[in-house]
Amino acid sequence: MTSTHLIRSQLLNLATTRMPVAFGAVIVLLATVNGVAVVVGTDMDGSKTFISSGADQQSLVAFAANALMLAALFGATAAAREYAHNTAIATYLITPRRPRALLAQLTAIGAAGAVLGLLGTACTVVAVAATLPFTDYGFLMSATDVLRVLAVAAFAGASGAVLGAALGTLVRNTGGAVSATVVALVIAPPVVVQLVSEAARWVPMALATAASGIPGETGTATSLVGIAAWALLPALLAVWAVQRRDVV
Amino acid sequence: MTTAAHHVGLTVTHLTKSYAGTEVVHDLSFTVRPGRITGFLGPNGSGKSTTMKMLLDLAAADHGTATVRDARYRDLSHPAGTVGVVLEPNAFHPGRSGRNHLRVLALAAGVPSARVDEVLDTVGLAPRAARRRVGTYSLGMKQRLSLAAALLTDPPVLVLDEPANGLDPQGIRELRDLLRARAERGHTVLVSSHLLTEVQHLVDDVVVISGGRLVTSGTVADLTDSAALVRTPDAPVLAARLADLGARVEHSDAETLVVSGLGLDKIGRAALELGVALHELSPQASSLEDVFFALTGSTTTHEEA
Ligand SMILES: Nc1ncnc2c1ncn2[C@@H]1O[C@H](COP(=O)(O)OP(=O)(O)O)[C@@H](O)[C@H]1O
Ligand SMILES: [Mg+2]
Repeated sequence: MTSTHLIRSQLLNLATTRMPVAFGAVIVLLATVNGVAVVVGTDMDGSKTFISSGADQQSLVAFAANALMLAALFGATAAAREYAHNTAIATYLITPRRPRALLAQLTAIGAAGAVLGLLGTACTVVAVAATLPFTDYGFLMSATDVLRVLAVAAFAGASGAVLGAALGTLVRNTGGAVSATVVALVIAPPVVVQLVSEAARWVPMALATAASGIPGETGTATSLVGIAAWALLPALLAVWAVQRRDVV
Repeated sequence: MTTAAHHVGLTVTHLTKSYAGTEVVHDLSFTVRPGRITGFLGPNGSGKSTTMKMLLDLAAADHGTATVRDARYRDLSHPAGTVGVVLEPNAFHPGRSGRNHLRVLALAAGVPSARVDEVLDTVGLAPRAARRRVGTYSLGMKQRLSLAAALLTDPPVLVLDEPANGLDPQGIRELRDLLRARAERGHTVLVSSHLLTEVQHLVDDVVVISGGRLVTSGTVADLTDSAALVRTPDAPVLAARLADLGARVEHSDAETLVVSGLGLDKIGRAALELGVALHELSPQASSLEDVFFALTGSTTTHEEA
């Protein structure tokens, strides 16, 4: 069947369990935390400088790093559960050319990750904009800044989801896939940075933050390429793995 | 997507596979004819599922080939439209409804979504049940849902791993009618079971394996009609002659022989030539169960899946 059919099938596959609701709930929770922080939160010195300028507000609503992490967990769960529940069997029966089936799945999961990133940013922006009137500051971000934060979060979400899905495909066990994702994004990077300090700006979460336009050493374009590379590497490994191992 | 009857069904040739150095399928060869229901029988762990996985390109064979209508599964022009499969009794996300499970598959296989309700009706899953989460289904309902998935594309070949497992007698009768109707349309049907009693009234042909090796294959009629009962006052004389002719002869009592491996006509002729009187010469239909037990050393009647 055409790839469009396969991708639509995978999207329906993602939409017909409670997982989207669960991740949606996390997004709403994170946005609420940001909204509450705007009203009651202060900096170390008791001031409210963290919302006092457009740039400060941008770094508050920059959701890319969250999107990367959240979408990676989403992707890892979505891909690994196909093996846990044996639904991968039907997928590969319908499309015995396994790389094709996997690419359709990664595309769908990547799209879902982009939506997570977009929604996460949108909810956060709304929460912050809705709570700023309770402070002395107005909404200071330009439309361009908002668009940029949205776009980068969508990109980070898509990349994170592909990275997670690739790990899920490699590990094939939901608990193991979630652990592998946490290790790859949260636990391993500081350890690597300890050993090689130049690596600090190249770890996924740092790249996601840099890409959101928070001033730093790494430019936006470079950061985006870096994030994509973090997704592509495990994706290629996963394509190789599904080709050479048994489905069941 | 059904095409006209095809002259070849499934062909398995010298198939061999090891897991972690242990051979679980050994040099297995057999064919499955279209227009008939073939039982794939063997005790638990004898390699039935593994063989089916290799046939469907889900697992790689170490040696040998398996083809569907003369093509490897992955080389079929429309694999899902050609072969309907039930492999695992529980290959569903528990949180998804049965109906949505089928909608996902229909979309991938390019089947119109109206077909989903058709197959649900065919397998007897009520619309309300189909909208419930699969996690709430009984084993029998899951089997029906699996079967519905296998029928989505109305494929001319069915490969079903233990489809009767978990079905009540009513469900088994419905399964039999359904598979019979498809075989009559010239379709190829392979049904595995470790419980002979479950499928003995369902199948025309059997392929029996044990320990990953072929034990026997043929029609149910051939397997069960292979012995003859002979009553004669000159039993020892006739027995010796029949043994010379290559038959396997057992003495049931002083006057009764059970002869296998030689046709009734040849037994009769041998008696005539020896001038031995025959009081009875009749085909002895052993039950498939007896044959199965003799061949695999497994009764398969009472054990659970
Ligand atoms: N993925 C696997 N890894 C290791 N061993 C396996 C695997 N699948 C099956 N086996 C072993 O292969 C043998 C045959 O299994 P199977 O084909 O499932 O038998 P059956 O379907 O006839 O019950 C069993 O001993 C089983 O434990
Ligand atoms: Mg089995």
